[in-house]
Amino acid sequence: MNASMEIDTIRPPAARPAPDALLSLAGVAKTYGSTRAAQAIDLDVATGEVVGLVGANGAGKSTLMRIVCGVTEPDTGTMAFGGRPVDLVAFSPRAARDAGIRIVWQELSLSPNLSVAENFYVEQPQFARLSPLWLADYHRLARDSIERIFPGARIPTSRLVADLTLAERQMVEIARAASDPRLKLLILDEPTSSLGAERSAQLRQFVREQAGKGVAVVFISHKLAEVLDISDRVVAMRNGRLVWQKPAGETSIGDLVEAMGGAEAGDRSTRPALDAAKAGRPVRVRLSGDLVSTGGPIELRAGEIVGLAGLEGSGQRNLLQRLFAKPRPGEVERDGEVRYVSGDRQGEGVFPLWSVLENIGIGRVARLAALTPVKAADQRPLAASLAKRLALDESRFDAGILDLSGGNQQKVLVARALTDEAEIILLDDPTRGVDIAAKRDFYRLVRETAAAGRLVIWHSTEDLEFLECDRVLVFARGEIVAELGGDAISEDRIVAASFQQPAAGRTAQAAKRAGAIGPFLLRAIPFLSLILVFAAMSWMNPLVASSFGIELLLAPAVTLVLIALAQMFVVGGSEIDLGIGSFTGLVNVISATLLVTSPLLGFAALLAGLAGYCLIAVLIHARAIPAIVVTLGASFIWAGFGQTLQPSPGGSSPQWLTALFTWSIPGIPTPLALILIAAAAAFLIDRSPAGTVLRAFGSSPLALKRGGWSPLRYGVMRYAIACLFAMAAGLYVTAANNASDINAGGSFTLLGIAAVVIGGCQLLGGFIAPLGVVAGAVTLSLIGALLASLGVSTNYNAAVQGALLIVILGLQAALVARGRRHG
Amino acid sequence: MADRALAFARTNRWIWPALGILLLWAILTAITARFSLHSLSGVAISASFLLLPALGQMLVVTTGKGNIDLSIPSMVTLSAYLTVMTSTGSTAGFLLTLAIVLAATALVGMLNALLVLVLRIPAMIATLAMGYILATATLIVNAQIGMFAKPALLGFLSTGRIAGLPMMCVIAVIATGAAGLLLARTAYGRKLFAVGQSAEAARLAGIPVARVIASTFVASAMLSGLSGLLLAGYAGGAFLEMGTPYLLQSVGAVVLGGTLIAGGNATALGTLLGGMLLVMIVTTMQIAGLPPGAQDILQGVVIIAVLSVAGTRIGRR
Repeated sequence: MNASMEIDTIRPPAARPAPDALLSLAGVAKTYGSTRAAQAIDLDVATGEVVGLVGANGAGKSTLMRIVCGVTEPDTGTMAFGGRPVDLVAFSPRAARDAGIRIVWQELSLSPNLSVAENFYVEQPQFARLSPLWLADYHRLARDSIERIFPGARIPTSRLVADLTLAERQMVEIARAASDPRLKLLILDEPTSSLGAERSAQLRQFVREQAGKGVAVVFISHKLAEVLDISDRVVAMRNGRLVWQKPAGETSIGDLVEAMGGAEAGDRSTRPALDAAKAGRPVRVRLSGDLVSTGGPIELRAGEIVGLAGLEGSGQRNLLQRLFAKPRPGEVERDGEVRYVSGDRQGEGVFPLWSVLENIGIGRVARLAALTPVKAADQRPLAASLAKRLALDESRFDAGILDLSGGNQQKVLVARALTDEAEIILLDDPTRGVDIAAKRDFYRLVRETAAAGRLVIWHSTEDLEFLECDRVLVFARGEIVAELGGDAISEDRIVAASFQQPAAGRTAQAAKRAGAIGPFLLRAIPFLSLILVFAAMSWMNPLVASSFGIELLLAPAVTLVLIALAQMFVVGGSEIDLGIGSFTGLVNVISATLLVTSPLLGFAALLAGLAGYCLIAVLIHARAIPAIVVTLGASFIWAGFGQTLQPSPGGSSPQWLTALFTWSIPGIPTPLALILIAAAAAFLIDRSPAGTVLRAFGSSPLALKRGGWSPLRYGVMRYAIACLFAMAAGLYVTAANNASDINAGGSFTLLGIAAVVIGGCQLLGGFIAPLGVVAGAVTLSLIGALLASLGVSTNYNAAVQGALLIVILGLQAALVARGRRHG
Repeated sequence: MADRALAFARTNRWIWPALGILLLWAILTAITARFSLHSLSGVAISASFLLLPALGQMLVVTTGKGNIDLSIPSMVTLSAYLTVMTSTGSTAGFLLTLAIVLAATALVGMLNALLVLVLRIPAMIATLAMGYILATATLIVNAQIGMFAKPALLGFLSTGRIAGLPMMCVIAVIATGAAGLLLARTAYGRKLFAVGQSAEAARLAGIPVARVIASTFVASAMLSGLSGLLLAGYAGGAFLEMGTPYLLQSVGAVVLGGTLIAGGNATALGTLLGGMLLVMIVTTMQIAGLPPGAQDILQGVVIIAVLSVAGTRIGRR
């Protein structure tokens, strides 16, 4: 099926022996399923050389660079670096880093929940000192590195990356990679996609300086003028092969476009110009208002192929999504049914568990009433007729969808969109990573579809594909800034229009700043509510504010503080532990029974509990099982052990344990001191180097893995920390109550989660705040006391706590959604 | 031959719990005289009560994204209380009770869906919190509960026999068949599986994703409610810890039955057999005289072990 056509083209010069080559690849190939992402690649990069690497999307540039960085292991081929052969099996991201290979990823790999300085640490841990002030070095490193490359950027290094603009993030990303003193090879993958002209010029200046110092640079970009400006030599890739290379001085943008594979698209001569308006075809889509800055509304008619062009992320996808949503009067109006074909096949196209036939059939089934009978066989005739038109092999209908090549998967998605007679077909960059043969089939199919009277709206990131269109709408900063038709469609014009600045470009920026109040409010909630609740209680009963009153009130809060902190570290990894409450109960039982009668056995049991927690972490990470279900199962194991050890409440606290929690400093209530100690411990762990990495895993596990950090080791560390906090909670309960009750622990699970949420943490994304969690936990346990003093039955406690949790989470969701809309 | 058997087992994952049941039964019969066909019938009745919430849990889990319904135990208990409180003893009164239970649980299911879909609270947290609120409601009505005038029809449904077969088992088999047909043979089943595999792909294919997910929470709540109603009839009343076992066991039945915990595929027959296996394990331990604690431990271990062996990866990637 995947008869990828052999392209006769200028072959790259055979790998010549290059004694001064820093990086040398020979015969490198990598296949994913039936997609050949890289094949027979020979490439040398010399010390101090700047190589421009160009190619269409999916040409294999990123795969090749992943191989060089040790992220992807090639199927065949050899690699040498610095004159020494590299063992590609043992080659890892960390080994690449140690060798001096650094990459700036196209999809930015910063952790949004870390500050700029902390992001520098995650990338360059070797400078960390053993000191509470270790991060100061990284503030300096970050500031210096950013200013060295981008003078005047002035990015505050203590700010969270999530609060930076896209351009600022890109600058941080570049500076972070380039700050490595061991740097020998710097790979920049689309480094200027979000940068303005001035910053881009600064970066190129920096690249030239580095090259002068002997650093080799690979510069990957779609901005061909920049590539020609910066490179010594330009290399073009197409369909996983290196097809062309030349010194930058001897070539032009036109050459590059041709080398990248432009010639395949745009077979315009065979296509008669179509004047849909004159043909009197019905209007299917009408665009107007602020969206259109070309003057007057734009009407799209049946039978047209309309391209959506512009720099990536300028509003093309947004328009497709608005067209796909329910039609309503406004800027974007449509008349007729729509179908959507995405080029992100893995993310929003295929259903991986299903066969090809099922993947096609769902297009019709999606619109049937719920109880309509559906049989697989019913789909076959219709799918078969579609398959014929799409040049899709009918004999593979029963194969799993993932067994097909990218191009064939895309055909399946198109077939799905064509199963019924929808009037409008939306294409979202459908040929991404598709081989040439499949692309040609695809272009033919689009023409046929339009000829059959449908309106095709086609967003592409490959400008050459617009030559297939009747009309092209060019986007810039979310607006349509140009409309090209017929012979006026050319790559030059599209590119020129893409860089136009619509007048209203600034408003988005201003709105973003206004939205920043949300996160601040979230962080302040726990402290404000703590003050509020405490004030209310002292107003009702002045004794509360006395040292004795505080001692009495805070004693029950200590447990919840410890449990909430334990849960917080798990939430920091975007997971949740449903077993923490029961585990606390188990530790309570062990310490009130075994630890009294036979201390040795007691300690062994506690250690076994810790080992159990670590085992859970291993299972979750090694087998990719959801933490909820595993910890739910574990909660029953903990409770079961506790039940077996001591079926009904009882036991007593070992004397040393009581002593451990009942010392006192004159003037400070003991529970307050304990809470402060717990808060300090959690804060220090969270802000330590290891805690920073733990948080980073919560938001960007893939980037961390690429950076050479072990997910398993940190997963185990995360659960071990949580376990130790929960253990402290269990021991405290024993000391405070001088007894144990296995059933008392369970309810703490929900309370702990509630405290974490009230404390300003987000359940996903690794945003955690130790001090907020402590305040949240204290507030929650005070609310219990407050309700009691108001005469509310304790029966209501659970409901109040559950409702509070829901309200705060809802508030959080609303604020985050607002922030996202503005950002 | 072995290859074909293996391929069959891969596409029909309910075969594993079935084998487990046979194996456990064989062992029990061999080593103990006390385990008889009669014990098996007791297991089947217990498993039938578990089946309804387990089917609901299965639907929720199948929507993927780590969705799970932790409010099931509180829902079962609250429904049992509602049944006891509203029953008058007459058949017409029973129909009213049924309507009240179904309406109340449907409402709670919709609230769950609202929290998950509109407020975007993770399902596990939303349903856990909802469970606590329901538990409080139960606690409050617990003080006012009076005599249970059990309607005859409810008695027949929960404890009666038809042609020697316990009515509950008949209900369970019918429910399994209906759920199986729904999943395998209707547009709803296809849509549900699509949503569970990739919500984004499903949305772009034109499936009303939110409506599908909401329907599973409502179904889960109503099935739990039904189970609570029947359980009240079986036990002749309601008590506070009534639904507690269904928290872990509903998840356990789904996992043991071979439904994908990551979503996108489910088997009703597997859930029936998985629940049966789980109940059988518990019964075995009771016969062996193990304390309740040990039963909890083993259930937890079995679920984690099955998950670890089966894994959750979708496809080959």
